[in-house]
Amino acid sequence: MLPAMTPRARTGGDAVLEALEREGVDVIFGYPGGTIMPFYDALYGHPMRHILVRHEAGAAFAAGGYARSSGRVGVCCATSGPGATNLVTGLVDAMMDSIPVVAITANVRTPLMGTDGFQEADVCAITQCTTKASMLITDPGQLYTKVREAFALARSGRPGPVLVDIPTDVLKAPYVPEQNPPRKVNDVRPVASVESVRAAADAIRNAHRPVAIAGGGARDPKAVKAFREFCALLGLPHTTTICGLGASDPNDVHGLGMLGMHGTKASNLTVHTADLVLAFGMRFDDRVTGKPDKFARAATIVHNDIDGSEFNKIIPTKIVLHGDAADTITALISELKTGHVPRFDDWAVQAKALGGPLPSDVAKDGHLSATDFLDQFFAALPANPIVTTDVGQHQMWAAQRFKPNTPRDFCTSAGLGSMGFGFPAAIGACFANPGRPVFAVVGDGGFQMTMPELATVKRYQVPVKIVLIDNRNLGMVRQWQELFYDERYSATNLSDNPDFCTIASAYDIEAFRISGPEDAPSQLAAFLAYSGPALLHVSCYPDELVWPMIPAGGVVEDLMESKA
Amino acid sequence: MTYDLEVGDPRTVARVINMAHRFQCRASRVDSTSTETVTKAHFEFAGDPKQLDRLRAQIDRVVQFEKIFVS
Repeated sequence: MLPAMTPRARTGGDAVLEALEREGVDVIFGYPGGTIMPFYDALYGHPMRHILVRHEAGAAFAAGGYARSSGRVGVCCATSGPGATNLVTGLVDAMMDSIPVVAITANVRTPLMGTDGFQEADVCAITQCTTKASMLITDPGQLYTKVREAFALARSGRPGPVLVDIPTDVLKAPYVPEQNPPRKVNDVRPVASVESVRAAADAIRNAHRPVAIAGGGARDPKAVKAFREFCALLGLPHTTTICGLGASDPNDVHGLGMLGMHGTKASNLTVHTADLVLAFGMRFDDRVTGKPDKFARAATIVHNDIDGSEFNKIIPTKIVLHGDAADTITALISELKTGHVPRFDDWAVQAKALGGPLPSDVAKDGHLSATDFLDQFFAALPANPIVTTDVGQHQMWAAQRFKPNTPRDFCTSAGLGSMGFGFPAAIGACFANPGRPVFAVVGDGGFQMTMPELATVKRYQVPVKIVLIDNRNLGMVRQWQELFYDERYSATNLSDNPDFCTIASAYDIEAFRISGPEDAPSQLAAFLAYSGPALLHVSCYPDELVWPMIPAGGVVEDLMESKA
Repeated sequence: MTYDLEVGDPRTVARVINMAHRFQCRASRVDSTSTETVTKAHFEFAGDPKQLDRLRAQIDRVVQFEKIFVS
């Protein structure tokens, strides 16, 4: 129970809170400090939920996980200087994967700005190139308006992060009622021209070996529905980028799985063989294309994106569909239905046959194989799960195996590849999706980067389930050292890892341990049956590799399925 | 390549210059004037034509971020 509060004068902090309320924010992930105290003072006793993380990086990643898993804007806040700079990686992560996040930072009082004041950092400059916008608000009368504009910008067009920096004297200034209504949002979404849609439909009708690719731009439920309808209409083989996983109907037999460096053989060979590539809401990342001038070299490229700057950035495009994925695919379906609707079932069967079963390893010398365990884990998941991952081998193994119902059910740091993301992102996903089972699949390297968030889980009894794949190595770096650096294992050995179960227990979090293959079924079952937050420590042998693999900058002919 | 910019945030000029160098181009000339509400800038860029095309597209994108609001 809160102590009786002395009435206090309202401040700029209240104006910020009002704007957050108006935007429908239900939870903020943050960490207090000197300059942001006026905002925290306004929060005291306020019904808006604040989640105290244990490091600001956790706040930004949790906001990202909240946004990725829900489609709503995630919110984080931090104090000036180190608090603000600790948010930066999470904001870059959100920028790379087009995730709507608003970060609120305080700064030193206005007269101190530029004097190297205590805990001063020019966070607007630091984040200028890595956010959609970073705004400094120096007028207390503009707090409400500007914060609301930050939300509008974060979710407009191609979503992304926006940082709002507020000097502490502005937060502390007497509350100024909103005088000017916020500017109207002119979020006019580009619409693919009728001609371009018709050209794409004609290209489909003339194709023999088309393939569709869905990227992160197809995360929206409307886009998912349209993409599935489009593929089903044509009997089309289709694949996704890691951000688009879940866009494909898990029951569509023509789905080929993930594309790219560690994508399925069928996906990569199909795109390589295709005479028409229909790319929706994706940006031809280098992890997808390998060597760009050898990517889909036999194909006509039809590229749809909401961001005009993506066209011809990496891959020359024959037909540009500049627009929202859902709208564009829907228009394409309508256009196709005005004439002959071709079917590609025979080609789709051939495409599927280009691949084979996903390589999984088996126990070795009494030690568990990570892929063998993950096969068991994903087969045993409860209904309607959300899975987040960290970055590295376990991320790729999970991306290859998990069949999410929608793209929002799989949250991973794709573009930035930021270790430390998975666990706090799962915390964010739990707050955005109460009642749904949330699993953080993490490695021993990344988990140790944001492990203090165990305290957050404990405090709020966040029902996250942590699956820790521990191979006592920075596995992906080790894999590259093994394959490309003559087995010179520089700085990747983590054989002195702590006892993670003991650490979880210290935070009063239930821990389960799989030490060898024989433990796996019973411990996994007990872990899944446990109703609260829990950690499952999975000890795996260290030299298992991720297959298939197309080496960085390589071509599909370089695809490796084993070391030999 | 030349680019004429009119934005509200004067720091956008710095953002564009940073971007040019990230794309291995060079801002060979920059003229900029600012009032309290409007910043105008004229840029001349040198570099590989393909990279300049990318730069233009990225500047267009940044400018779009400001244009989503109407007073």
